[in-house]
Amino acid sequence: MSPPPDAKPPLGEPAASRRPAPLTLAGQSSLRDRLIARDERALVELIDAATPWLLGLVQGILQDQDEAEEVVLETFRIAWDRIATVGDEHEALMPWLLRIARNRAIDRLRRRARWRRKTERAESLGALGPATAPFSEPDESAHPGWHVHESVHAALRTLPEEQQKVVRLAYFGGLTHSEIAQRLGIPMGTVKTRLRLAFDKLRLALAPIQDWVR
Amino acid sequence: MTPHDWYVENRVAFVARALEASEERLFSDHLPRCEECRREVARLERDLGALPMAATPVAPRPGLTHHLADAILYRRVWWRRAGPAFAAAAAVILAVGFGMRERQQRSTLTSALTDRERELSALRDTLSIWRESQRVVQRDIAMGNHRGGLLIFDDPTTHRWNVVMHGLPAAPADSVYQFWFITRSGMVRSVELRCDANKPAFATLDMPKTPGPVMGAALTVEPAVNHSPEPHGLELAHVQF
Repeated sequence: MSPPPDAKPPLGEPAASRRPAPLTLAGQSSLRDRLIARDERALVELIDAATPWLLGLVQGILQDQDEAEEVVLETFRIAWDRIATVGDEHEALMPWLLRIARNRAIDRLRRRARWRRKTERAESLGALGPATAPFSEPDESAHPGWHVHESVHAALRTLPEEQQKVVRLAYFGGLTHSEIAQRLGIPMGTVKTRLRLAFDKLRLALAPIQDWVR
Repeated sequence: MTPHDWYVENRVAFVARALEASEERLFSDHLPRCEECRREVARLERDLGALPMAATPVAPRPGLTHHLADAILYRRVWWRRAGPAFAAAAAVILAVGFGMRERQQRSTLTSALTDRERELSALRDTLSIWRESQRVVQRDIAMGNHRGGLLIFDDPTTHRWNVVMHGLPAAPADSVYQFWFITRSGMVRSVELRCDANKPAFATLDMPKTPGPVMGAALTVEPAVNHSPEPHGLELAHVQF
C-alpha cells in the first residue's frame, strides 16, 4: 500500500503537527457520505487505507494469512452493504470496521475445529508479538492512522504489565476468561478483575482519540 | 447481589469477547431486553473504538486491495460485463420465441386460408349454377338464437332444384330437418337435410315424379322415426315458386 503524498510529514516539524490528516479532502463529502452515495472510488480509498490495520488485527487473532484476508473481505463487504443502514451516523468508520473484523475473526477462531492447535501455534510465535512488537520500519510512521496506533500503545503502556497481558490475550488473542486463566496459571476471578480494571483505564485514555477516517 | 449485577460485571468482558460461549449467549439474549446494558455496551465500544489500532499493521500482499475492491464490486461489475452477453442471449431467446410463435401463426393462417379457399371454390360453383337460374327463392329462418335461411334455386341445364340450408343448429334430438315439395296433388316428401350452425346443407334434387307442376317447397322439423307422407312437425319455411 502506498500512502497518500500528503501523509508524509515534512522533516523537522514538531510531533503534533506531523500527524497525518484524516482520510478526507477538504471541501469534499466525508468518506462515509461518499460510501453511502455508492461512490466506488470511496470504497477503493477505504480499502487502501484500512486494509493494513484490519489485516494486522485479524492476522494477529487468527494467525493465518488466508483466513485473515477472507475476514477482511467480509468486513469490507459488510461495510459496503450496510453503511447506509447503520443506525448511528456519528459512529466512527474505522472503529466500526475494526469491530466487525475483530468479531468475525473471533467467531472464526471459535468455530475452528483445530483452534486449540492454532492457539498453541500462536503461543509458540508469541501471542503478544503482533500487538507489542515495536514498530521499527522507518517509513511506516507516515502510514495513515499511525498516530492513533502510537496513542493506543501509549495508553497500553500505562497499564501494569499483568493487565497488559490480560488485555492482549483477550482482545488481540480472542481468548476467553478460562483460557487466559489456564494460559497464565491464575484464578479466573483474577483474570476478570484485571480485565475490568484495565478496560476502565483504557476507556478513559482512548475515548478522546478521534477517528482518523472521516 | 441481584441477577442483573452479573450483567453489569460482565459488560467489559462481553465487549472484549472474553466470556465463555454459554455466557456470551446469555448476555446477547439479555441485551435486547435491557436498555441500560445496551447503552453501556455501546458506550464501551465507542470509548474503546481505537483499541484495535494497537495491532501492528500488516502490508497487504501485492494486488490484494485491488482484489478486495473487485470482489466487493463484483456483482455490479459482473452484471456490467455480462450485460451485452445477456442482451444477446435475451435477443436470441426472443427471436426463437417470436420465430416459434410466427411459425405457429403461419400454420394456423395457412389452415384457415385453405378452408376459405375451399369455401370460396364451393361458392363459385354455387354461383356458377345460380347465375343461370330463373327462379331463386330465399327465406330467413330463426331457431332460438340462430339466424339462418333456406335458399332454393333451379338449375335450368339439368332441370334440378338446388337447396341450401344454412345458419341453423343441428336438428333437435330424435328429429330431422325435412324438405318437402309442394305440388298440385299435395306435399311430396324429399330429403332430410343435415347441418349445424357452421356447416350448411346442400342438396341437388330431381323434380318430384308427381303429376302437375311443382308449386313450392317447405322445410319442417320431423321426428326421425316418423316417415309420414304428410308433414306433422314444426314448419320452418314455406315458399311459393
